[in-house]
Amino acid sequence: MTSAILEIEELTKAYAGSGRRALDRVSLCVWPGELVVVLGPNGSGKSTLLRCAVRLVDPDDGAIRVAGQDLARLGGAELRQARRSVAMIFQQAHLIRRRTALANVATGALGRHHDLATALGWLPRAELLEAGRLLDRLGLLHLAHKRADTLSGGEAQRVAIARGLAQRPRVLLADEPVASLDPQAAEDVLRLLDQLARQEQLAVVCVLHQPELAVRYAHRLVGMRDGRLVFDVPATAADPSRIAGLYRAEAA
Amino acid sequence: MSAAATVDEASSPSPASELLPRPTRESVLLRLALGLAGAALLGQASVVARVRPQDLLSGASGMADIVRRSVPPDVQHLQPALGGVLETFDIALLGTSMALVLSLPLAVLAAENVTPSRALYAIARGVIAVTRAVPDLVWALLFVTAVGLGPFPGVLALVVHSVGMLGRLFAETIEDIDMGPVNALRVTGASPIQIVSHAIVPGLLPSLIGIGLYRLDENVRSSLVLGFVGAGGIGFLILTAMNLFQYRQVATLLILTYLLVIGVERASAVVRGRLR
Repeated sequence: MTSAILEIEELTKAYAGSGRRALDRVSLCVWPGELVVVLGPNGSGKSTLLRCAVRLVDPDDGAIRVAGQDLARLGGAELRQARRSVAMIFQQAHLIRRRTALANVATGALGRHHDLATALGWLPRAELLEAGRLLDRLGLLHLAHKRADTLSGGEAQRVAIARGLAQRPRVLLADEPVASLDPQAAEDVLRLLDQLARQEQLAVVCVLHQPELAVRYAHRLVGMRDGRLVFDVPATAADPSRIAGLYRAEAA
Repeated sequence: MSAAATVDEASSPSPASELLPRPTRESVLLRLALGLAGAALLGQASVVARVRPQDLLSGASGMADIVRRSVPPDVQHLQPALGGVLETFDIALLGTSMALVLSLPLAVLAAENVTPSRALYAIARGVIAVTRAVPDLVWALLFVTAVGLGPFPGVLALVVHSVGMLGRLFAETIEDIDMGPVNALRVTGASPIQIVSHAIVPGLLPSLIGIGLYRLDENVRSSLVLGFVGAGGIGFLILTAMNLFQYRQVATLLILTYLLVIGVERASAVVRGRLR
């Protein structure tokens, strides 16, 4: 078996003043081609896990190894370079509103280019062409010249995924990507994540709040509660009562 | 069914009715006292300002006389009047442009979320407070004394006052930026300079242009008044014509002023509307 592309080891984080650990020695390995869905109630540490993994939040302890390189130990230019292999999408698409879908996708490639070549909002022609190809592959080419703030929620989220792909990542993290989408758009986004895992051999980690969607799309299910990982099972072996137990008021 | 429910509601008040308690004696008295205090405040203001409605009546014939003597507007001396219009507009244009350039770095220092240091933040906020608090008319008086009569002290006055006004609005705009796209770009591995030029500036640009145009519009009106203290432009021509009792000339100047103000206001509104 090939080795894991993302190895999270004993990751620990306590937010200042909260007095409890948002993440308590969480370990998780993800292999290329896998769609791992993380479930858990509010405050269980799911989002913190993903935010720590890209260093939007700095963990207190532990390691985040991507292709063997530990992001927790990096800073400055080294961190920026390492971040390029991890794409992240959020609950909101967070596109730049006044630019076209095409330009937004191309900004995903900025990390590969020098400051001078991209000053004043310039985007390299080659990256715009690449962005067009990505949009085409996702069936979104008709949106290329539409401004980001005119896209529907589902369209914007898929454009945000295309921006992530423009990074040429090996890992794709998704923090509640369908929480503000209607059911049809949510299915479209999850189908796309599943397809990217299978066809592009991406390692996908997706936080969800809908157990029924999780069971249908996940290859592996991870349950979190109170900052700890409570189960990590293949989706085919998922036990509905254990999933329901995550959300019960008293500790499972 | 619904009638029965209504009767039921009337006989035993539901807990929801406690959300809207009847006003207490204290709250009624408090409102009465506030009302009286407001009336007293306005009363003292009209005494201090020596409001005398009868003056409006006795002054009516004088006003009518001025109006009679200002028609038809004098079109013989249109050329100097148009020169004054251009000068007023140019004072506002230069004053606003120079203030824009100066206020941007000041705003970055004075925005809580991006300021490089607390000391610079405090200094920048101080500069903004002083330049804003002193009206442009007072700055104009100071600069006319310092550099002499003419349009240039008018430009300087607008620059100093506008730096404060723009600096504060820009700083607030920077403080309100949506961090979502900024973080989204940061995690792609983009550099800080790329984040500024691709996420922050595009988000900010429409507000910056909009605020700048609005300031230009304000400054055109300000620069009219600055003329009265000797800082050039159409205001100075109005003052001169008034002093010489040339009311027909004043009428022409006022019509041109109206056209200038409305023109700039409309143009800036159209551009701002397109920016959304």
